[in-house]
Amino acid sequence: MTGDSLPRPPILRVHDLSISYTTRRGPVEAVREVSFEINRAMTFGLVGESGCGKSTIAFGIVDFLGPNGRITDGSIKFQGREMVGRSQDELRKLRGDQVAVVYQDPMQALNPSLSIGDQLAEVLIVHRGISRAEAWRKSIAMLERVYMADAAQVMRRYPHQLSGGQQQRVVIAMALLNDPALLIMDEPTTALDVTVEAAVLDLIEDLKRDFDTGILYITHNLGVVARVCDEVGVMYAGELVERGSVESIFARPLHPYTQGLMRCVPRLGTTKQSSQLFPIRGRVPAPPDRPRSACIFAPRCDHATEVCHNERPPLRVILPGHSARCVHAETIDPAAWRPHPADQVAPPSRPAAESADAIILELDGLKTFYAQESRSLTSLIGLGGKRYVKAVDDVSLHVPTGCTVGIVGESGCGKSTLAKTIVGLESPTAGRAQFLGFDITVPVSRRDLRLIQELQMVFQNPDSTMNPAYTVGHQIARPLQRFRTVPPDQVYDEVIRLLRAVRLDPSYYDRLPRQLSGGEKQRVGIARAFASRPDLVLCDEPVSALDVSVQAAVLNLLLDIQQQYGTTMLFIAHDLSVVRFFSDYVAVMYLGHIVEFGPAEAIYAPPYHPYTEALLSAVPIPDPQAEQKCIRLEGTVPSALNPPPGCTFHTRCPRRRSLPDGGAVCARETPPWRYTAGSASPVGHRIACHIPLEILSQVEPVITTSRGEKRRCSCATT
Amino acid sequence: MFVRDYMTRHPILVEPDASIVEVQGMMSENNIRHVPVVESGKRLAGLVTRQNLRISPMELASLNVWEITRRLSSLRVRDVMVRARDVITTTPDTPIEEAARVMVQRRIGCLPVVEDGIVMGIITEIDLLAQLTALLGAQVPGWRATVRVPDRAGEFAKITAAVASRGWGIDAAGSLPAPRQPGYWDVVIKISAATRDELISVLQQIEGQEILDVRATGP
Repeated sequence: MTGDSLPRPPILRVHDLSISYTTRRGPVEAVREVSFEINRAMTFGLVGESGCGKSTIAFGIVDFLGPNGRITDGSIKFQGREMVGRSQDELRKLRGDQVAVVYQDPMQALNPSLSIGDQLAEVLIVHRGISRAEAWRKSIAMLERVYMADAAQVMRRYPHQLSGGQQQRVVIAMALLNDPALLIMDEPTTALDVTVEAAVLDLIEDLKRDFDTGILYITHNLGVVARVCDEVGVMYAGELVERGSVESIFARPLHPYTQGLMRCVPRLGTTKQSSQLFPIRGRVPAPPDRPRSACIFAPRCDHATEVCHNERPPLRVILPGHSARCVHAETIDPAAWRPHPADQVAPPSRPAAESADAIILELDGLKTFYAQESRSLTSLIGLGGKRYVKAVDDVSLHVPTGCTVGIVGESGCGKSTLAKTIVGLESPTAGRAQFLGFDITVPVSRRDLRLIQELQMVFQNPDSTMNPAYTVGHQIARPLQRFRTVPPDQVYDEVIRLLRAVRLDPSYYDRLPRQLSGGEKQRVGIARAFASRPDLVLCDEPVSALDVSVQAAVLNLLLDIQQQYGTTMLFIAHDLSVVRFFSDYVAVMYLGHIVEFGPAEAIYAPPYHPYTEALLSAVPIPDPQAEQKCIRLEGTVPSALNPPPGCTFHTRCPRRRSLPDGGAVCARETPPWRYTAGSASPVGHRIACHIPLEILSQVEPVITTSRGEKRRCSCATT
Repeated sequence: MFVRDYMTRHPILVEPDASIVEVQGMMSENNIRHVPVVESGKRLAGLVTRQNLRISPMELASLNVWEITRRLSSLRVRDVMVRARDVITTTPDTPIEEAARVMVQRRIGCLPVVEDGIVMGIITEIDLLAQLTALLGAQVPGWRATVRVPDRAGEFAKITAAVASRGWGIDAAGSLPAPRQPGYWDVVIKISAATRDELISVLQQIEGQEILDVRATGP
């Protein structure tokens, strides 16, 4: 009962805002006629793909457009006062300390050479003119408010001594010290792990309530929007194409683009057998190519008619409090939508390789340690013992032929090291690894050429894995020549065939990497990986750097190629919905160990390993109505230099207390592998936990979808 | 029921050298009547109300139309505001009835809410009236019954016991000394679970109390 019935003026009112950048080729309109309002204690989410103008709006509000950016039209009223057309000096006075911004990368916002305490206290000393002792006291109180454990200690630390999640908490605390009326958050959790992200999102929700702050939340992640936003604006190519309450938008997306976005993201629980992702065909037009007097989405829209190409639709109210910029909004039924025939992918049949003889890759007790010199005096003279970062510790894994095995876990859990060890970029410290009967514990430089040919990799960042000086054709031809996959006179034809396989036009042969979009680069990366017709492809976060619509296209492509060639894949990702969608088997890693392994559907249903359960409860689900259990892990991942004894997860395990003696056994003994009923095979469902399976089986599923009231996560985070 | 929970957080603020014309426009556009004036760091410097912005008829008569324009455009907030030392303020931890008492006693329409000299919010008569409507249940549909009870211990308990015995909940309740009848109190309760006749029959059974009025209220 906060008197919400009272009409209060909005904190921010953006009306018909247009922003241009001046470039050598003339002005580029980045944002066009955008309007929205933000009230107290309300989160307005701006979603859209990269380059659609989300951040430009935020920059416009705080006047960080840079020397070539200019607000060309419209008004921004902050706290009732017009901001457009004022000088820097006046703006500073108007905004005062009432607007705060939190960016994606917390390390950019913190000064690495000052302690956290000095940076926080400075805010108060400068803006409020209070004494240092008082500022220090208030800063500690604020750190406690953002659930920072051991706040007084943290005040004396430096940014590099904090984890990413802690750094982002410090930045949020710093933003809130001045009690701002408006908080702008530009992808604040994108750089964080899911478990940390979940805790930060809970925090944002709590703070909005307690501080009555209006929040402008910019993100590309529909799941995050569903979790934190009250109202949403969907941006496309600089225009706001749809605006409404979060429930209304997810229940009934009106604009074809919003509908397309929803079809691009795998929902947690869907599989490649049960459903399909539909990328939005075409690509976002570059600002100079955007039509002035036509629907901006018309070229990619399946519902476009004559009128869409000739007239620019206005943003019209269609449902109460829900408007869209589409002339056909009332008549389009998203359920009646049918994909373009070219986008249809036959649902892959499930490989029936359940027996152990069809195992292509076999890891047994694999360990990869990185030696770390200790800084003590004894080690200086060569007597001290070396310490090891146990990046991969005792991993046993069987990969059946023709299947996709997903590997998930937080950053630093050893996913990438495992991939590098298999490929041969790192040498294992101990253990056995066999691929097609070959021993692959030898580094890549001493491997047989044929072995290298059968084991390829798709990397996360296609930019840094392509030589910017070589054309696309040259880059794909190189493995063909090296491995002599085809006779030299057929290399060109083979490259063209590969380009077509990844749905790129032969005209791409002569293009340079800088002339490609992110999605196209990743396609080239995939074409190159598949050029040698490998038996096993390791994909290390192949889609996490891509926009959702492109991500859907790349995932479909991988599925399609895998079908064609019968390739086995190891798929490393942090997005559990994507892994669930894409994989037949899933391995969950924590601190170098695999803690749970099994067929994908078994991983996502009870019994869970307590860590898997926590991961699943942290995934943002693009459905505001989904019911999700609230399990938040305490603390951060311990150092792999000195992993906890016994079960490595025992320091953060929320279920440990259910064991007799407070789970003393967890700290003492390595947990046994427990196989669920009827799955004793090497690829069966197994969980490494001291808690008996009968108890784990009684746990309720993490996610249930109900059509009730909007879910709000209300548990306290520590 | 403290000021912190019912005040408007992040009120619209102005700085002392803002132009009167701008503030006037902003106040009418946003339909607000009070604007706290702050220096850097949101320290309270004064308060502007619509009254401050008025030019007295006597003064107006002595100016011609050009002079009025010039005079208005040169006026700054600092020239017309109530200075901080004369502004009556409250704190976030004050009970709302105490804030209301101060406003009634001083005959003022708003109190800036100040903590350590920094403006945290503003509470106005409208905020308090909104809570009065909530207190008496005007925001939910149901039966509003007024009962006159003698001024002695246990009378209110009789009502709640009678209502509870039928398994109904009380949506809102309030009591005041009866106007023009010393020795009695008027109790207002709001009930939505019962029908009008059920409610009357239950309340009639209480001895020594008189039902003054039962009516449907709410949006």
